[in-house]
Amino acid sequence: MKLAAHAACAIGWLWLAGCTASGPRQEAFGETDPAQVELEATPFFPQSEYQCGPAALATVLAAGAVDVTPDELVPEVYLPARRGSLQVELVAATRARGRLPYLLAPLDDVLFDELAAGRPVLVLQKLGAGPWPGWHYAVLVGYDRERQSVLLRSGTTRRLEMSVRRFLWSWQRGGRWAMLALEPGELPAGAEMDRYVDAAAGLEAVGKLDEATRAYRSASLRWPDAALPWLGLANVAYARDDLTAAQSLYEEALARDPADVAARNNHAEVLLQLGCRSAAALEIAVAQGHARGGALEAAVTETAARIAEATAPDAAACPTPARDANVVDGGARPE
Amino acid sequence: MIFFRRFIASILCVTVLNLSSPLVAQAGVIGTLQAVESQHRTADLATVNSALARDQVRAQLGAMGVDATHVDSRVAAMTDAELRSLAGEIENLPAGADALAVIGIVFLVLLILEAVGVLDIFKSFP
Repeated sequence: MKLAAHAACAIGWLWLAGCTASGPRQEAFGETDPAQVELEATPFFPQSEYQCGPAALATVLAAGAVDVTPDELVPEVYLPARRGSLQVELVAATRARGRLPYLLAPLDDVLFDELAAGRPVLVLQKLGAGPWPGWHYAVLVGYDRERQSVLLRSGTTRRLEMSVRRFLWSWQRGGRWAMLALEPGELPAGAEMDRYVDAAAGLEAVGKLDEATRAYRSASLRWPDAALPWLGLANVAYARDDLTAAQSLYEEALARDPADVAARNNHAEVLLQLGCRSAAALEIAVAQGHARGGALEAAVTETAARIAEATAPDAAACPTPARDANVVDGGARPE
Repeated sequence: MIFFRRFIASILCVTVLNLSSPLVAQAGVIGTLQAVESQHRTADLATVNSALARDQVRAQLGAMGVDATHVDSRVAAMTDAELRSLAGEIENLPAGADALAVIGIVFLVLLILEAVGVLDIFKSFP
């Protein structure tokens, strides 16, 4: 049965690969990218029946020096009743293995830029239609501008050459979903701040604090004017109970974006926990002003209520209640 | 034997419940992810109960054949937004790997082409 499945798989792929495009040439490749790329060192794990999710994920993880096989990933991403794997679970499993799951912008040239930068790309294709959607994960490992083709690690085929037009069509139908498994701290070729910090925040949210820290730090260097990476660093410090560090990191975030509600709220919270009720009250008032009508209003109101309830006198080492980024560096931890 | 199994099951239940939520979200501060999401999306997302979504996804994964010992680690690796996107949708979201279904289509197409007379490949079989 397995053999038959593999044979059928191979026939199917030959068929799909054989139908090369004859349409007009299209420039999907980036102008500055090399004419031809093949990431030959990318490992190959031939998939077992239905299990291209684990196989494709293992491919991109192992390419990034994570020691993993598809069999180890099956219990993490395979969904027996669906005979496949969901995108979210591939993202989650990437996180669980300490890698940053970066979802690429849904643009053709972004894929090829990453290949040119030496990174294999995990993609979702839709190869069928109607009751047989034919969702399929594969790993893009190269392209050839002259031949108008792409190279994939796919199913049981180590080096599947597919016309770029056919590939992009299947990718388009799959919702243009593409993921990199980055080493935390490594930035993609066409890094976008929101996508990157979003992925880093995912690491933070599931408790991968070291990985999140590395990612936030490189984001703070890549986008020096952005507040979010500093908010992330501050939240990690807070999660580690390092209130003094968290406080000055929130200051860094606020220096970059004084209207950042989360940073302002969290700064107030940390001041409160450091025993600086007056400074906290001033901060939360500012946060409330910015939060009005927004998604974070409820959270800010809650913090404000907690600060209003506090009665302890200010600790001796509290910062002077000024909202200048440089004032608080003296440290204000109560004994 | 049955008692023993029940005993093990109840222990598992308790451990599983304890494991259920990641401990990173702490009272007081707004998580980075929450801050990022608040910039992208409207407030209505916040009304969807994340804890509920988590329980729902956990139950669904179990019902769909995921081994009980792996359900929790899988759920724990997802963010709240991801859990909300999965809750109730696991049946419908794309599940990559249906290679055999694709083969089915290939044969279907061949059959149709054969029936219409474009191809002539099945005639050679008796």
